[in-house]
Amino acid sequence: MPEATPTRVGAPEAHDHRHDHNDHDAAPVRRRARGVHVAWAVGATVVLIALVAARAVTAEQLDPSIPNPVQDLLTLSTSVIIESLPFIVLGIVLSVLVQVWIPESWLLRILPRNPWGRRAVISLFGMFLPVCECGNVPLARGLVRRGFTVPESMTFLIAAPILNPVTIITTHQAFGFDDGILIARLLGGFAIANILGWLFSKHPEPMSLLSGRFAEECRLDDGHGHGRDRRQQSLDLFVRESSILMPALVIGSLIAGAIQVIVPRDVLVALGSDPLYSVLAMMVLAFIISVCSNVDAFFILPFASTFLPGSIVTFLVFGPIVDIKSSCARPTRPARSCSSRRSSRC
Amino acid sequence: MREQTSRGALWRGVQRWRGVVIIGVMAAITLWLAASGQLVLYIHPRYILFTVIMAIIAVVAAVAAVATPRRHDDEGLPLPARRSRAVGLAAAGLAAAFTLGMVVIPPATLSTATAEQREINATASDDAETFAAASAADAATVATFTVREWSTVLRQTSDLAFFDGKPATALLGFVTPDADDPESIFYISRFSVTCCAVDAQPLGVPVYLPGWAELYPPDTWVQVTGAFDSNPSRSSPTPIVLVPERVEAVDQPSEPYLF
Repeated sequence: MPEATPTRVGAPEAHDHRHDHNDHDAAPVRRRARGVHVAWAVGATVVLIALVAARAVTAEQLDPSIPNPVQDLLTLSTSVIIESLPFIVLGIVLSVLVQVWIPESWLLRILPRNPWGRRAVISLFGMFLPVCECGNVPLARGLVRRGFTVPESMTFLIAAPILNPVTIITTHQAFGFDDGILIARLLGGFAIANILGWLFSKHPEPMSLLSGRFAEECRLDDGHGHGRDRRQQSLDLFVRESSILMPALVIGSLIAGAIQVIVPRDVLVALGSDPLYSVLAMMVLAFIISVCSNVDAFFILPFASTFLPGSIVTFLVFGPIVDIKSSCARPTRPARSCSSRRSSRC
Repeated sequence: MREQTSRGALWRGVQRWRGVVIIGVMAAITLWLAASGQLVLYIHPRYILFTVIMAIIAVVAAVAAVATPRRHDDEGLPLPARRSRAVGLAAAGLAAAFTLGMVVIPPATLSTATAEQREINATASDDAETFAAASAADAATVATFTVREWSTVLRQTSDLAFFDGKPATALLGFVTPDADDPESIFYISRFSVTCCAVDAQPLGVPVYLPGWAELYPPDTWVQVTGAFDSNPSRSSPTPIVLVPERVEAVDQPSEPYLF
């Protein structure tokens, strides 16, 4: 019954009429190929179940007696990973939606023509795409592939973690409207995103600002993806984004955990009452701690009693920009573009 | 030449699959942690539902990605330089090792190492409110006070009259040595977590019990019942300590952090 197994997805797709070279083969070959894929799916499921079973056994049986600091390093790093993982998945899902499922015209049509206006609107995209800095890197990459310029995507990348409903709610829960911290965070994030976007747009060749990998990933899709239905394209994107983000997440979490274990926090807190040093200390802390913008307000709340409000705002605005775990996956070369411009601003 | 192609294939294979493998395994482990009630060792309970939903999506997507036909359009691209391939492989190896650690090493709560590094009771977030509530509390409420309430009260007042008729009942926490007088004072401590273990703040109540370390080594979970009194220790500046009537070693609770 060759009719029962047409191309792998039933829904009519825009690209369906374009055939992939496999489709020239006869139906039995296709059926066999399908059998192979079912076998892979079963195999992957079995492996995952076996790993979970192994996990359950080792949790009971194994007593590795790891020294406390090392154990805490592992616990802290794992905690960063488990806290970020759902946001990364959300980011990838939204990125897939933007790239594969939402018609291109939707995003481009609502934008003004004037570059400042465009970037201003783009910096508000986060209101509809509530991703923090873990999730916005794949999304920004999706925007570049969708025809956004590099400065526009950078604007999104910096604004989205701050100008999004989740962050606004958590910041409000933590601080209310005290000391104007919430307002300063929102305005500061908006201003920095737009100023950085403008600086990037001054560059004669913005594409060259991208780190090699990011640019390569952005280019990969040009002219490709045909002959793949949307489900397959979505999974391709999942494979690619996770391949970039996951190693970066693990290494970033290990660094964040290690600094937590090694640097005494009271050293940083001692700096809190000095107008200049408190701001610098908060910048360092933002870099070290790297908690998601969605929740960093709760994290910094205990410091509000020792640190000046200005330095708290610094943490809240600066944190999402320099987040250590996603900075490993950042789109720009840190040495040349992002950080040199950032420091020239300071 | 042949060796060249096989290295390229290895690099491409690792490049393509490392993310899916890591995210799939981590999400599966996350689901196991949630099922066995240990997710609270890492994150605040309010994130559990969101985390579980996203982990299910990740597991389904990872399995589907393994099962879907490969695309071959990256094979025509030139291989990057050897050094950047090595860096990529090393990163993937480290990430894989950590992922394996998540499978093998038993989940654990934070220990005294972090409590000492972060300095017990260093922060004071909602002190005034908690203190007002504690002052007005009746005896039944006082008996339910945790390390959080008592540490707040101790920060706010050193007036012994306040503690009159307000004993600590079955106060639960783990043992951390006092920095000033480790011979006779330990802190019965808990971590307070607002989002995830990274922001855990150690809270503690000083307990005066000379020679405690022989009975209850650091990191032991204990339950202490006793009354507050002025500190008999000469080398510690803490004004008020808990003088225990009864101390018993207990198992680590399933929710070791205070949320």
